[in-house]
Amino acid sequence: MTNVARTGQTLLIVASSMLFAAFTSAMVVRRATGTDWIAPSVPVWLWAAALLALSASWLVMRGLYRPAALCGFLLVASQIAYAASLRMGDVAQSFAAVLVTAHAAHALFGACALWWKGERASLFWHFAGALWLYVLWLIGVWA
Amino acid sequence: MTIFSTDHKVIGKQYIGLSLFAVLIGMALSLVMRYHLVHPDAKVRLFQMLWPDGAPGGQMTPELYLSLMTMHGTIMVFFVLTTAPQSGFGNYFLPLQIGAHDMAFPVLNMLSFWTTALSFLVLMAAFVVEGGAPLSGWTAYPPLSALGKIAGPGQGLGQDLWVLSIALFCVASLMAAINFIATIIELRAPGVGYFDMPLTAWAWFVTALISLFAFAVLLAGGILLLLDRVAGTSFFIPGGLVVSDQIQARSGGSPILFQHLFWFFGHPEVYIAILPGMGVISTVLSVFSGKKVFGYRAMAYALLAIGGLGFLVWGHHMFISGMSPYSSVAFSVLTLAIGVPSAIKTFNWIATLWGGRIRFTAAMLYALGFVSLFITGGVTGLVLGQPGLDLYFHDTYFVVAHFHLIMGVAAIFAIFAALHYWFPLLYGRFLNETLGKIHFYGTFIGVYAVFVPLHFAGIAGNPRRYPDFKEYEFLKSLMPLHVGVTHAAYSLAAIQLLFFFNYFWSQRKGKLADKNPWGAATREWTHD
Ligand code: HEM
Ligand SMILES: [Cu+2]
Repeated sequence: MTNVARTGQTLLIVASSMLFAAFTSAMVVRRATGTDWIAPSVPVWLWAAALLALSASWLVMRGLYRPAALCGFLLVASQIAYAASLRMGDVAQSFAAVLVTAHAAHALFGACALWWKGERASLFWHFAGALWLYVLWLIGVWA
Repeated sequence: MTIFSTDHKVIGKQYIGLSLFAVLIGMALSLVMRYHLVHPDAKVRLFQMLWPDGAPGGQMTPELYLSLMTMHGTIMVFFVLTTAPQSGFGNYFLPLQIGAHDMAFPVLNMLSFWTTALSFLVLMAAFVVEGGAPLSGWTAYPPLSALGKIAGPGQGLGQDLWVLSIALFCVASLMAAINFIATIIELRAPGVGYFDMPLTAWAWFVTALISLFAFAVLLAGGILLLLDRVAGTSFFIPGGLVVSDQIQARSGGSPILFQHLFWFFGHPEVYIAILPGMGVISTVLSVFSGKKVFGYRAMAYALLAIGGLGFLVWGHHMFISGMSPYSSVAFSVLTLAIGVPSAIKTFNWIATLWGGRIRFTAAMLYALGFVSLFITGGVTGLVLGQPGLDLYFHDTYFVVAHFHLIMGVAAIFAIFAALHYWFPLLYGRFLNETLGKIHFYGTFIGVYAVFVPLHFAGIAGNPRRYPDFKEYEFLKSLMPLHVGVTHAAYSLAAIQLLFFFNYFWSQRKGKLADKNPWGAATREWTHD
């Protein structure tokens, strides 16, 4: 990877992190100020989707970018399936939907980048994987 | 197709062109508003033609006034002050100044511009859709902005388009920020260290860093607001709201939460608007004093300090939101602390002038005007930064005067200075100096004539965002002041025609410039 590509990706990661930090702080504040918080349920298969993210990272490290991208696409599909099952009228569920959909957008971008750019997109993919673990923790444990 | 050019010079000019177009619309809106404030009952055919629903029989409704105000603020803040100084001049001159062949990601650069242009079109569309433009101001506070059509004309599709436009603008600005930072980190020519860069490059660098952190947060706020509007969520909508005699079904949301998200972006945003101007002004003052910038390193560090501190003070826009007095004190102390790096910059500008051989070119006059405005506007910031005083001044014309002088007009003066200074590189010719000077004096007197009296209106308790002062007994005595301000605003706008004439005429007929006519030392002039 060239230095320019690495720097650009690092900056993109900073911007994405800020986006999720903002969602997180909104969620913390909204939960504390409202009286209507009911923890969303996170199905087991969504936890299993974490394995997809991890195996994609593992494949990336082996240089198998297209199989990794396929794992990424599967992850996106499971995220969308979960988000579609949520009720937007419920506050905790709506936050879960926002976080999961925003992550799906990142994962989709990352997987497409892996498919076409291979190694050059690896840094962003690893970030997306770590971010997914964070989102899962946020909606599955913290919430 | 050259309009989808990936050349940083073309893109820079495209951004500048977009801003010049936007500023014309923004200015026209301000004139209509000032007219309405002093003739609230006038029936104007033109208004009826432009806004059949907003001005039935030519009589402007309060809602139309608020929608013009919203569009004025949004256009000026985002498409003028955020667009020209950073993306416009930065794109054109940053690579030249650090010896790079182009920006780091030329295609991304092209996409940033066109996303910004699309965002502008989406915003303009709000004018023509059913209900017209939104009413909730450039800050778009919920619940007004979150409820939809029931909250007023313009709060339906118009507000949807507004949020969409801002979200697009955030994405474009994030892409641009990544490009600027990567260019500076990776593409400096051999031998150009960080502290060899001109202060303009430093300013673009710090501004891009601020954008990277700030626009992501506004994007988050915008997404949540849009969902409150279209998906039935309740992030920002509290329970028990009765609007237009109807109880709103949503509950539990926090309007204050939006304010935090907005101002976490909003305060840094004011620095996004002004820092590039500070860079330009440092350069222009030094070139036309025939001296190096006084305290170059201190200037660079002050930019970083302002950028960093700028993220810790957003609460000063929310002193009266019911926050804990302890938080107010903390925000107040941090706010006043920004005065320190700001003062360092101001004193260094003055020290740069000290003992110099000053050439009073038009560019230099605008730079001096910038320093003047930065001081006058900054002093009132120190007043507003104290919770006890802000309790009274918040949401009055005092705030309007403060931010117009320091953000609006100072940044515009920097744009004028930059155009006069760099015109020879942009178009190979000079802007006409005599016209430039006349325009400077007219504008300088004009802006003070408009905004100084507005401080007094604020001191008298005149609230902002009111469409008709004569409805209120305590505001009646201020009408003569407002009449004066409106006339000053007309003259100020008329003087701007001189600039536009100069700008277009000089591109073709201006005096030809030879290489490095001002005797500058930075690379964009000295390199081929
Ligand atoms: C030491 C410097 C400054 C201080 C202490 C300061 C303080 C403040 C405070 C406390 C407010 C909130 C007033 C209220 O709403 O009640 C305010 C508003 C504002 N300031 Fe400043 N300010 C400073 C410099 C600047 C600069 C450099 C800019 C822009 C370049 C700026 C732009 C604005 C804007 C746009 C608003 C109003 C936003 C709105 O409510 O629509 N300020 N300032
Ligand atoms: Cu502020």
